[in-house]
Amino acid sequence: MAFAPRGPEASFFQVLDQHRASLLAALRKGGGEPAGGGTRLATSSEVLAAIENVIQDIITSLARNEAPAFTIDNRSSWENIKFEDSVGLHMVSHCTTRKIKSDSPKSVKTFALILKILSMIYKLVQSNTYATKRDIYYTDSQLFGNQTVVDNIINDISCMLKVPRRSLHILSTSKGLIAGDLRYIEEDGTKVNCACATAVAVPSNIQGIQNLITDAKFLLIVEKDATFQRLLDDSFCTKMSPCIMVTGKGAPDLNTRLLVKKLWDTFHIPIFTLVDADPHGIEIMCIYKYGSMAMSFEAHNLTVPAIRWLGLLPSDIKRLNIPKGTLIPLTKQDQMKLDSVLKRPYITCQPFWRKEMEIMADSKMKAEIQALTFLSSDYLSRVYLPNKLKFGGWI
Amino acid sequence: MEGTAVAVCEILKYLIIHWRCETARISKGALLEGELVISIEALNSKHQANTLHCVTTTVNILKRVASAGSIFGGLVLKKILKEIQSILPGLSAELSWTSEETSYSQDVSGVTPFQMIFEVHEKPRTLMTDSLVIKNFLRKVITVLPKIRFNFSVKVNGILSMEIFGAENEPTLNLSNGIALVVNHQHYVSTPKFGATELLCSRIHPVLGHPVMLFIPDDVAKMGLLGELILTPAAALCPCPKVFSNQLNRISSASIFLYGPSGLPLILLNPEQPTSTIFKDTSYFINWKKHHLCMVPNLDFNLDRDLVLPDVSYQVESSEGDQTQNMDPQGQTLLLFLFVDFHSGFPVQKMELWGVHTLLTTHLSAILTESHSVVQDSIQVAVDQALEQHHHAVKAHQKLQASLSVAVNSIMSIMTGSTSSSFRKTCLQTLQAADTQEFGTKLHKSFHEITQNRFLHHCSREVKQLLPEKNNAEQSTEDAHENSSLELLAGTSGQVENKSLKRGSLRQGVEETRAFRSPRALNPSEAALGRAEPTAAPLTPSRNRTGPRSGLEDALWLQEISNLSEWLSPGSAS
Repeated sequence: MAFAPRGPEASFFQVLDQHRASLLAALRKGGGEPAGGGTRLATSSEVLAAIENVIQDIITSLARNEAPAFTIDNRSSWENIKFEDSVGLHMVSHCTTRKIKSDSPKSVKTFALILKILSMIYKLVQSNTYATKRDIYYTDSQLFGNQTVVDNIINDISCMLKVPRRSLHILSTSKGLIAGDLRYIEEDGTKVNCACATAVAVPSNIQGIQNLITDAKFLLIVEKDATFQRLLDDSFCTKMSPCIMVTGKGAPDLNTRLLVKKLWDTFHIPIFTLVDADPHGIEIMCIYKYGSMAMSFEAHNLTVPAIRWLGLLPSDIKRLNIPKGTLIPLTKQDQMKLDSVLKRPYITCQPFWRKEMEIMADSKMKAEIQALTFLSSDYLSRVYLPNKLKFGGWI
Repeated sequence: MEGTAVAVCEILKYLIIHWRCETARISKGALLEGELVISIEALNSKHQANTLHCVTTTVNILKRVASAGSIFGGLVLKKILKEIQSILPGLSAELSWTSEETSYSQDVSGVTPFQMIFEVHEKPRTLMTDSLVIKNFLRKVITVLPKIRFNFSVKVNGILSMEIFGAENEPTLNLSNGIALVVNHQHYVSTPKFGATELLCSRIHPVLGHPVMLFIPDDVAKMGLLGELILTPAAALCPCPKVFSNQLNRISSASIFLYGPSGLPLILLNPEQPTSTIFKDTSYFINWKKHHLCMVPNLDFNLDRDLVLPDVSYQVESSEGDQTQNMDPQGQTLLLFLFVDFHSGFPVQKMELWGVHTLLTTHLSAILTESHSVVQDSIQVAVDQALEQHHHAVKAHQKLQASLSVAVNSIMSIMTGSTSSSFRKTCLQTLQAADTQEFGTKLHKSFHEITQNRFLHHCSREVKQLLPEKNNAEQSTEDAHENSSLELLAGTSGQVENKSLKRGSLRQGVEETRAFRSPRALNPSEAALGRAEPTAAPLTPSRNRTGPRSGLEDALWLQEISNLSEWLSPGSAS
């Protein structure tokens, strides 16, 4: 043979293929992708008109000698969030709101900052240019005070206008990485091939990427960058080819989530998560799968309920006889987070996940993926993951 | 200064002290209610040139305390007359009294009116000065004894001038021992100074300092003072710092008012000696430097003003470095009220209280000097808190202005940058602006107005959330220090917003002679010839009835101040 075959044999992916078939069948049965609610992609003229309507409302209030106010959905209130297993966490249609008044000492500054950012968005959309949230902040850091203020206001504007952030021409800074069998063309025409030795940064403009091409049998979401790099070093993408790997380097940014969603929507390939066996890792996994409270208003564009938990499962710890010395006791914060996750509405429809979390709660111990290196240095890429993928070891 | 003014004021003081002692036996801490009529009738003397024969009559209509019987029975009145004669040995005029019921009692039940009369001979200019001194005294009394009404009339050669002094339905701040401070700012500053559109909160919001016991010099104590003198300061900015005007971003003056037991003024204003010695050093009791203020005595002494004139007046000395600041001379005034009360552990007797008052008026400087440290600490706390309100208000205002500026600029940016002519047109039409420049001006003005209205609504809404009016005049000195024990009596809602709020002192009816405009402007010949209109009919006093009425925890005001601190905290966006 001139070239050694890349990846395992076709039979290796049999279970994966079956899994994919079942996912597609479920999709067909469910009538396709759930209808997008809450946010939708808006054209530039629609965004400009929406902002102009906001301004007109303000001026009309002033003409009536009434104090203008913004009515903002309470994005971060559980009472405004419901769970659907086809979507994940998303905002209810009639949710509670709060008013940002222009005549209140408490809120007039926020009122002004919302207008400020609206005016900046207006200019961006008009000129068809883009800026990141960080860029927005640095236009007047003294005025804004801190990045969190800017982030919250941008999300509030997105929620208020019912358009996704990317339609506002505000990009989030990507921190995620991609590797594996994936090619695409960015909005500016740049051709990207992720099948290289080093990973590729998740692009800032997910909406703009085109011509996505892949033969991947699965997409593996890796929680930590350290694990991701380790897998790269072990040439995991080659050994398990064709596949794609993504990491958000912890809690994922919006673009990483958008990319995962886009890959699912485009290819419907099985998506698995590889996270630490600790409450934090589980929560990160839930963000990819079901979404977050903060971004629940954009859930339909961000969540992938089809994601499965591949590892590290708490039951793997006992099954693989991972040395107890490598385990770490749960801290008080871990306990609280675990309790919090167990109470979330989506756990009720995930009995296997619940069971795994109960195992963790009972043992009061957690483990990082790196614990597998105590079995052997390349145990993760050589044994653990291949076996899991081949024999359907996901839940 | 001699004659009529001193006599009238001393008589009134005596009567109020008597009244206070009698009332305290039945209802300690109750506010005195009633009316006193002072009338001076002057005619050209038949025996002396350029001299007026003045007959002063005080008619005292006193409200009977429930089930107390008459405070002024026949024998009591004789005794009172003797006592008054003994305290006014220098009054050469004859003092007499009658106890006939008069028409004044028609609207007051259970009263025993009586009147005292004395006669003096005075120069017209002296009479005019005396009238102004008396009026100022009356204004001072009603600001702490708001339920007493004074009807003061002066008739010179047939020309009548009458004023009614009262603050019965005005909002007040209850203090201990049956006195209440009127908090309507119009008693202390003149409204036209700030313009009708600028000033939307008509109250001052006093902050009480710690009550402190005064040390009494040995030589004073030897005069028979058996008991404790307690000083309680109260400081307030006037006008209200919450509702901001561009003119009110600095402190321009300070006024000090001194009150003794029973809410009686300690100092009778004397044009010949405007400032008490101890207060000539502006920083003797107050460290102004920590607030970046440089105070100098204000020597402008003009009795002829419709305000409660302070006993001590300071003004801020502007420095050369202040050119960049708003040098508008108006600014805010810091009002400082010093209340001295007397406690002896026993029910205070009338003559004892009179003696205390006399001691205080004659030895005030010595007593305050002896107690300099504690007085300074107590006053400083109250002043610091009051000025802190000002600083907070200034910063809050600056923050508000900055926010509104951002809002306006953002709207202008969108409006002027829009390519939609229909949008731009609609914006201009909505604000009735001809062009974008006018639009911007109107936009800014609109935002400014609604925020000002909001603060006004806040002021009046505090009133609406008031507790029921309480008669909680019995407050310990510790409670007086605790803001939660303060009560603000106020009238019905909405009234406080009335810009045409009238003061307690009404000047009604008959045209006054020019002779009484200013003590310096008197033209005796004009007064003598009686060139003004003849006597008018007796006037029915119309009460000054604005202001909401219900009880208010002053903690609401302090809560509002604490809310203002949110302006200052970073990341305070909600």
